[in-house]
Amino acid sequence: MNTIIDFIRRKLSVRVSLWVVLFAALIFINALGFLFYQAREAVHQESVNRATQILDNTSMRVSAIMNRAEVATIMTEWLVKRHPDKADSMFVYSEGILRHNPDLNGCSIAFEPYHFKEQGRYFSAYSYREGDTIFSKQEGNSQYEYFYMDWYQQCHLLDRPGWTEPYLDEDENGFYSESIVASYCRPLKDKDGHFFGTIATDISLDWLSATISAVKPYPNSYSIMIGRGGTYFVHPDSTKLLYQTIFTESMENPDTAKVALGHAMQRGEEGMKQMDVDGKKCYVFYKPLAQTGWSMAIVCPEDDIFSGINRLHRAIMTIVIIGLLLMLCIFIQIITHELRPLRQLATEAETIASGHFDAQLPNFQRTDEIGQLSNSFGNMQHSLVQYIDELKKTTAEKATMESELQVAKNIQMSMLPKVYPPYPERDDIDIFGQLDSAKEVGGDLFDFFIRDEKLFFCIGDVSGKGVPAALVMAVTRAQFRTIATHETVPNRIVSVLNDTMVETNDSMMFVTLFVGVLDMLTGRLRYCNAGHDVPILIGSGAGLLPCDPNVPIGVMGGWKYTLQEATIDPGTTIFLYTDGLTEAENIEHDQFQEQRIFDVIHQSSNAPQQLIGAMTEAVHQFVGEAEQSDDLTMLALQYKHYQSDVRYQRSITLPNDVQSVPELAEFVDIVCEAAGFDMETCMKMNLAIEEAVVNVMNYAYPEGAKGAVSVDATISDEGLIFAISDNGKPFDPTSKEEVDTTLSAEERGIGGLGIHLIRQIMDSINYEYIDGRNVLKLIKKL
Amino acid sequence: MNTTFREENNDYVMSFEGRLDTAAAPDVEKATAPLMDCAGHNIILDCTQMEYISSSGLRIFLKILKNAKPQGSHVYIKGASEAINSVFAMTGFTNLFEFI
Repeated sequence: MNTIIDFIRRKLSVRVSLWVVLFAALIFINALGFLFYQAREAVHQESVNRATQILDNTSMRVSAIMNRAEVATIMTEWLVKRHPDKADSMFVYSEGILRHNPDLNGCSIAFEPYHFKEQGRYFSAYSYREGDTIFSKQEGNSQYEYFYMDWYQQCHLLDRPGWTEPYLDEDENGFYSESIVASYCRPLKDKDGHFFGTIATDISLDWLSATISAVKPYPNSYSIMIGRGGTYFVHPDSTKLLYQTIFTESMENPDTAKVALGHAMQRGEEGMKQMDVDGKKCYVFYKPLAQTGWSMAIVCPEDDIFSGINRLHRAIMTIVIIGLLLMLCIFIQIITHELRPLRQLATEAETIASGHFDAQLPNFQRTDEIGQLSNSFGNMQHSLVQYIDELKKTTAEKATMESELQVAKNIQMSMLPKVYPPYPERDDIDIFGQLDSAKEVGGDLFDFFIRDEKLFFCIGDVSGKGVPAALVMAVTRAQFRTIATHETVPNRIVSVLNDTMVETNDSMMFVTLFVGVLDMLTGRLRYCNAGHDVPILIGSGAGLLPCDPNVPIGVMGGWKYTLQEATIDPGTTIFLYTDGLTEAENIEHDQFQEQRIFDVIHQSSNAPQQLIGAMTEAVHQFVGEAEQSDDLTMLALQYKHYQSDVRYQRSITLPNDVQSVPELAEFVDIVCEAAGFDMETCMKMNLAIEEAVVNVMNYAYPEGAKGAVSVDATISDEGLIFAISDNGKPFDPTSKEEVDTTLSAEERGIGGLGIHLIRQIMDSINYEYIDGRNVLKLIKKL
Repeated sequence: MNTTFREENNDYVMSFEGRLDTAAAPDVEKATAPLMDCAGHNIILDCTQMEYISSSGLRIFLKILKNAKPQGSHVYIKGASEAINSVFAMTGFTNLFEFI
């Protein structure tokens, strides 16, 4: 069933044809229904007419015969009355009536007992017909006392002539014959009006029955006749004759229709009734028979009446159904044929859909809807090809852009320190940093490097995200590196960055930046915070590093960024982060916030890598399925410089006069000997210290002013350290740009070699301006 | 610091003896005055007896070189010890001077 429905759904031709045929069928059904109704009505009317006519005819025929019997009887009565005393002549009369009226079956002229004295008690002249012969006899005897018979008594009692109810004839021996007869009886009266006998003429009801039974307007119709009491006199079922009335059956199976019919017939009405007879629908037409009080009915089965029209009905229905089926087939064929181009189009569309965009569409040369569809489809194909070409181009461009972005990400990541631990040879610092971009490239940055025993580090967050932020990030990070090579003071680094950025900041980007410079020898941290999240110091406890409010860089040119200082105790970790950490959101848009950072810090080790690992895990757990909304950067630095025991110490203070250099040389020689250096190293130490000291002598004090320069030499596990200090004007030799020793003689300046030599000779140098003194430390490992 | 100047095979030879440090530099610079007018002569800086040289000394050597080159004179450094040579190497002088 489902497959049929599917088929119908799939086939437009079938569906349309079905609709058309269904509609046609509806019209046919209505039209034929009306036609059949009308025809039925006509047939019905015709049957009524026919039945009525037959009934009338039959009634007339019966009446005619009966009339003849009545007239003959009246004539004979007249004869009998003329000669009432001649018994023998009665036979003549009775025989005569039969002879002259072939319709009559018999005739009795019966007299009251002892009417003829000579005849005794019984005298009834009776003539009857057997075949063509007429016999006469005296039928009264002790066996057959005729004067008790209905036909004799009825007219006497009623005192008027009339027809008896039909009855089985009885012979003189009291036996019933097989034929049913009805008699017309007239009383015989003398002049004084005394009743002395009855004259009765019989007609055989066999004849009546044959006449009535012959009435067959339809093959299966039949006629009945009932008497005044409802007794059947004519009925196809002969067993019912005389013994049953029309009401008999209704006593067992109440049948109101039949009872009503019986009553109507008894009352002598004429008409038609529709009712069930023996389980069949029938029309019953009834009419009283002449003046007898009998009534006749024709029972016509409905099937018979309408058999013709039903046959017609069936034939027409068959023709219509075959016609409709034929129509369905033809329609399906026609529509299928008409839709063939559509199917072709569908096939081509399938081809196009499978990726063959250059497939040739069929050209139908039609101007109807299918032609229009084909044209539209062609246009669509054209547009599709164009669109897909564009899409391919766009996709390719996007892929290129994505691969470029990937390269950009790699470049950006390569800008960040990525080898940890970054200074495996140093045991005084441990650093770990991590950057997670929300997009391919991001605007967070961090960096650190050690120069002259100073750890320069920064963390920043560029406003916005994506490529613009990444570009600014790259520039900021590069400039930080460049500036920090010759600038040691954080607020000055930030100021230069700010001024540079403001100059070129057309796109109004800004960067929050924290820059710190940690002196590795003393643990002194100098820093400047340009609007960035405040770092957390984790030592014995955890707390925020106090920060002045400064605007982010790029916002306001010429802003005076403040410098702040703090001393970092060995073992303390500085934890820096961007707002991607505090503002990390979970699905409910709750933020991670500072409190959770402290919670993690309290539970975690303050070793940088472990701390950041724990923090990352906490954030991921908190964020869950939510998308990372911002770049997340963390940087942790643990300062671990513990002062080692000083094994040797020697100091010298010299005036700012270069003539005291030999004295310095002597001092250096003594120290180098204590350190156990060879001659060549000793000479180089001399060179480095002389360069540093002479530099102070020449430049620290105003020209002509007296000043002093101190040299403190200490030997510890860290190595040999010369600390050259003075209280002249602040001057940081480490921030001087390097001399290019590859230049030719012509290109070279004369000076600038001193600091270069110092860097070449010593393992590291370190400058600090502490308590109004320039302190330059030169370190040589042992 | 002692310096001696002599002319030898048409070459100007300047010998340095002892420590050429910042304290000694001004005198040494004065002593190198004869080397300034060196057209037609190559200059040999004899460091055989030199114990030490500081950046002040190197500056004097560079000044001599810068003066001599335009006059078409070659400047040679002679007999420098290994320690002194390493200082020349650190400062890139090995690329500027010719060594004999």
